[in-house]
Amino acid sequence: MKSQNERKRTFMMIAVPILLLFFCFNTVPLIRGFIYSFTNFRGYGKFDWVGWRNYIDLFTDTRVGNSYWFTFKLALVATILINILSLIMALALNSKIRFKSFLRGMYFIPNILGALVVGYIFSYIFTYILPAITHAASMLASQTWAWLAIVIVCAWQSIAMNTLIYISGLQTVPEDVYEAAALDGATGWNRFRYITFPLIMPFFTINMVLCMKNNLMVFDQIMALTKGGPAQSTESISFLIYNNGMNGGQFGFQSANAVIFFIVIVIISVLQLKYLNKKEEQL
Amino acid sequence: MRRILLGLALVLCLCVSAMAAPVEIELVQYKPEAFRTFDALAEKFNKTHPNIHLTISSPNEPITILKTRFIRENYPDIIGIGGDVNYSNFQDAELLADISDYKGLANIKKAYLDIIDGLKFVPVPGVFGVPYMANAAGVLYNKDIFDAHGWKIPESWPEFMKLCEDIKAAGIRPMFFGYKDTWTTLAPWNALAVDIAPADVCQRVNLGETTFSKEYKEVADKTFALLKYAEEGPFAYSYNDACTAFARGEAAMYVIGNYAIPQILSVNPKLNIDSFTMPGRDDTNHTLNSGVDIMFCVMDSCPNKEAAYEVLDFLLDPENIQAYVDEQNSVPCQTGNFKLTPMLDGMRKYIDAGKMADYHDHHYPSEMAVDAQIQTYLIHGDAKAFLAKFDTDWIRYNRDIIAKLKKYMAEH
Amino acid sequence: MANESIIAREKFNWPVTILLLLGLFTVLFPLYMTVIIAFKQPSEMTNDVISLLSFPESWSLENFREAMRVTDFWRSLFNSFLITAVTMVCAIVIHSLMGYAVARNMNTSKFYRFSYFYVVSGMFVPFAILMMPLVKQTAQLHIDNMFGVIVLYVVFYMPMNVLLYAGYLKNIPIALEEAAHVDGASTWVTYWKIIFPLMWPMHATVAVLTALGTWNDVMTPLVIMSGSGVNTLPLAQLNFQTQFGTNYNLAFASYLLALLPMLIFYLVAQKQIINGVINGAVK
Repeated sequence: MKSQNERKRTFMMIAVPILLLFFCFNTVPLIRGFIYSFTNFRGYGKFDWVGWRNYIDLFTDTRVGNSYWFTFKLALVATILINILSLIMALALNSKIRFKSFLRGMYFIPNILGALVVGYIFSYIFTYILPAITHAASMLASQTWAWLAIVIVCAWQSIAMNTLIYISGLQTVPEDVYEAAALDGATGWNRFRYITFPLIMPFFTINMVLCMKNNLMVFDQIMALTKGGPAQSTESISFLIYNNGMNGGQFGFQSANAVIFFIVIVIISVLQLKYLNKKEEQL
Repeated sequence: MRRILLGLALVLCLCVSAMAAPVEIELVQYKPEAFRTFDALAEKFNKTHPNIHLTISSPNEPITILKTRFIRENYPDIIGIGGDVNYSNFQDAELLADISDYKGLANIKKAYLDIIDGLKFVPVPGVFGVPYMANAAGVLYNKDIFDAHGWKIPESWPEFMKLCEDIKAAGIRPMFFGYKDTWTTLAPWNALAVDIAPADVCQRVNLGETTFSKEYKEVADKTFALLKYAEEGPFAYSYNDACTAFARGEAAMYVIGNYAIPQILSVNPKLNIDSFTMPGRDDTNHTLNSGVDIMFCVMDSCPNKEAAYEVLDFLLDPENIQAYVDEQNSVPCQTGNFKLTPMLDGMRKYIDAGKMADYHDHHYPSEMAVDAQIQTYLIHGDAKAFLAKFDTDWIRYNRDIIAKLKKYMAEH
Repeated sequence: MANESIIAREKFNWPVTILLLLGLFTVLFPLYMTVIIAFKQPSEMTNDVISLLSFPESWSLENFREAMRVTDFWRSLFNSFLITAVTMVCAIVIHSLMGYAVARNMNTSKFYRFSYFYVVSGMFVPFAILMMPLVKQTAQLHIDNMFGVIVLYVVFYMPMNVLLYAGYLKNIPIALEEAAHVDGASTWVTYWKIIFPLMWPMHATVAVLTALGTWNDVMTPLVIMSGSGVNTLPLAQLNFQTQFGTNYNLAFASYLLALLPMLIFYLVAQKQIINGVINGAVK
């Protein structure tokens, strides 16, 4: 009993100060931003209160509507693609391969290269090299395909990170589990399906959530590749919030956009977490 | 005794330092590419003005830096910014001081004072900046290609179209666009709008006197007409691609401003560039597209306006202006006989005559993304739909300004 | 049987190695472009595929020297290094504690379950909405300097890292701590003696992900330290881009220089992830 209390007290002493720190630098500014969403604030200088106008505008703005459609389409496809590929990469890089360190290092490079480099190189590939090979017009200039080009670059950049998380997940699978499986004759796909995957399920959950979040907030790749074009077909929500809120004079309106966006992703992610956590327990 | 002496020495020191302590003036300017020029100016100033200590900083991402400093209420004394919507916002937020009493304004060309006056959202009285340098936009052309074929600078829109046909017939690409970067669509748009539409069109729309559908129809049509003379699929290429293509002689002309010249010359330093004013109208009575590239605004919070004016006096000294012009290929806003870069020869007569008007997009709210809308229009080709959207979006994005303006007009 | 499996495990999986080597093309090609552009002069830049992909006229290191001069390389590197290292250490200590407190109580206590979702949902707040309030807040607290940037990073990366640690702890059996408890060790001591060392693979993962995010970040130091004259590497790299022109050659040289320390760090951390002690401990 005494040790139970000691345990509880220790956990409280850990959690409360950290939560306070988090509250101060995440929640407090968020609340301030929320308050600004009822103004026509530019970020500095004088402003007026405008009530719910920003929110009403938000729901009648086709540009915002289109950005939601584009962002969710992109995030869904990119998340699935990235997770499949990085799981395969993690299994491959974790197996008994030659040049292991070299290969792991090389495959990590896309994640370190800055946005300026990635933007320039991939613009070049899409604008000059691919059309030279396929004799088709550039994907970046096509309203139908530009989003897919962004998916490709997002995947290219973030597979490394998700692979890393899967690799560290694979380290928690004890060797003897495989040995036992080998005795039972489970190999290949079956071994993965029934033994490896259930054991790294928590990491699948983490990767799905992180990946979804990163892709929903896509910004750098868009600035680097299309700047929202062609014909405003690749404007993501973050692109609007940043360009119009910080660079433009719409800080108040975009704060409203950010608040709604925040609520939407929180709901999606909490549902995702709850669903996947339940799956974890079933496995 | 020793202690008294020491005390005396201390007092003496304090007195001397108090007497010599110069007034601190901090100037933040927004063109990081010109930092060497400004550093040299600051050094020269501090040598000749012992009573004032001037610091000039030229940060990267200057507008973000300025905005965040304003949020912190950590204001510099003078800011050097462009004559664009940032100026309008800073002025509207009442951050800038009225410097109508500054004597140096008398030497600034009226055209540029009018331009910055037109940038105010609401036409309140007062002058809030000293235009320093201007830029000019229109058409850059490859002089060697033109000379080799004996082509002349076109004087009217029909002549311009004829020239494009001739260039095409000679097997050369007339122009190269980098429309993947949406902002570049504004280059031909502004050059044509300045020539064709009235300069105060935005304010007149705000007052409900006219519509963009009416005033911009010809601008939209002519911007679209240029596509025929550009490369295939201009929406795939960036500004950088276009600069490189023009620098390598892959196109005879480039519709852009003089600000693109350094990037072009970095690829091909030997390129022989000249420029001409966009001949947008069917007659020969044109207006040059020129805006204030950098202006100096004294902040309202500056405690020592006299010292700030002394800094402005120094910057506006013809000798220093010429030094700036030589290094940055700019166009000075001050009257006087300055030596300009030969790359602006074709625009010279408009500059000297003061026949110019500001970029129309300086009046567009950036969140309306007119550049992206122009790109959309150029892809789809539906001028009517584009202009109708322009009109409805305009009212939506500008309603606070329109309300403010109408209120002000009713009161005055 | 057992012997056979050990022998089989010693062998390299060549098909997978070869596939990975082939897949390396997707990384090597962009990297090749980056390297040759970093060696070229602006006057060698073209829109022509063949000549852009060809070698530079000379392999002079002049661009690298110039890039180092422009960015004041050693000083910027030192600042970046300092911010990244301190953030990383704080993240490992603070976030792992929080992850521990949350993971061990989530299933029994509403408070910790709420804390978990509260912190994790902080991940979805768009930075653009926090930016202006944070600029004001850090200035009022007089931490608009490197310290403030580090505090903000610790808060920004908390959601992701807590998610990672909590997920990892699910795979670490609670029995280990209970045994220590029975021996009379306090929760605090148990944590540092048993749990913390067990999490090395996750510490390394968190270190890599946190370091990578802070190393490449431009926005936070830009808005928080603006005007203070302290440059980080990404801030200094803004020198290569102005409104109407970018010197890609110098920029690429500089990005390659900035990439190296991260790559080396990653390779070192990889060793930690792989050599994790968990296999031995759980057995």
